[in-house]
Amino acid sequence: MNTSCKECGAALSVPGDAIVGELVSCKDCSTEYEVAEISNGNVLLKPAEQVGEDWGE
Amino acid sequence: MKLTITFDRLRWEEKALCDAAGSAGLEASLIDVKGLVFEVPRKRPEFGDVVLQRCISHYRSSLLTQMLEGSGVKVINSSGVAETCSNKLATSIALANAGVPTPKTLLALTSEGAEEAAEKLGYPFVMKPFTGSWGRMVTVVRDRATLQSLMEFKEELANPQEQHMYYLQEYVRRPPRDIRAIVAGDAIVACVHRIAPKGEWRTNVARGAVSEAFKPDSELKEIILKAARAVGGGILGVDAMEPDSGYLVHEVNNTVEFKGAQSAVDTDIPAQLIRYVAQSARR
Repeated sequence: MNTSCKECGAALSVPGDAIVGELVSCKDCSTEYEVAEISNGNVLLKPAEQVGEDWGE
Repeated sequence: MKLTITFDRLRWEEKALCDAAGSAGLEASLIDVKGLVFEVPRKRPEFGDVVLQRCISHYRSSLLTQMLEGSGVKVINSSGVAETCSNKLATSIALANAGVPTPKTLLALTSEGAEEAAEKLGYPFVMKPFTGSWGRMVTVVRDRATLQSLMEFKEELANPQEQHMYYLQEYVRRPPRDIRAIVAGDAIVACVHRIAPKGEWRTNVARGAVSEAFKPDSELKEIILKAARAVGGGILGVDAMEPDSGYLVHEVNNTVEFKGAQSAVDTDIPAQLIRYVAQSARR
């Protein structure tokens, strides 16, 4: 599934077996996205959450 | 049996756990909790028989676990275990009270208190945030000038707990590695050395540490399982050090990451964890 990076405009390829919630990164600018929706082969991305100070194991 | 794996950031671990649950014949689903809304208290049958809590945000995980438990859902790990493990001071207290060897730890409630605590511990010592992971903001304080600079930086933090209060721990002289044991109930599922990368003293995989399979001796096995019981038990990552004076447990992780460990051991870690989840849900 192909889309483009909202930050730098580079082509962004999302693996065909991706599921909602999965993270993808732009190879050009490293902006991180989360798969928000997949329908009819189209993928909708939203900006991934930034690391919080309470994140961890 | 219906298992729900809750997450807020989908990592390799959550997908591996879901696959393992499917292979074990469980009806498993992954639920991204970020968009959910809950009403107090209301049954949530969609979460099934048991929830494996895998949220990466401590506060989100804690509130969600409380909410689910309040709705009658069994959650692994329980909210009590999560609270103990997500606060390093609470973990230190639980370990010490259970007789688990752990580094000497001091709490200071002001910057003045931190200076006094530093004198008691002696330099170098380690300063850690109360909440957090992956070695973030964990610092070796080698002299008073460094401590004073750190205190100035801490005063600028927004979180009052981290801004004004201090968790100080003895600096343990150890090989450039630590031990990570993945525990499920009364079993050590996997045990590895985490070897710090060159130029880094911290041994977190998130900092580039490499995992190597490691077979714990009977003394260490006993200490690891005692540490897991001390925080309430469940699926846990017990971290230990091996100075000349004997093993010390310095941390117990509530939402253990095991990608690094899995790269070093033959044991199917997610399958073993799912087996424990299924057994716990049947009890």
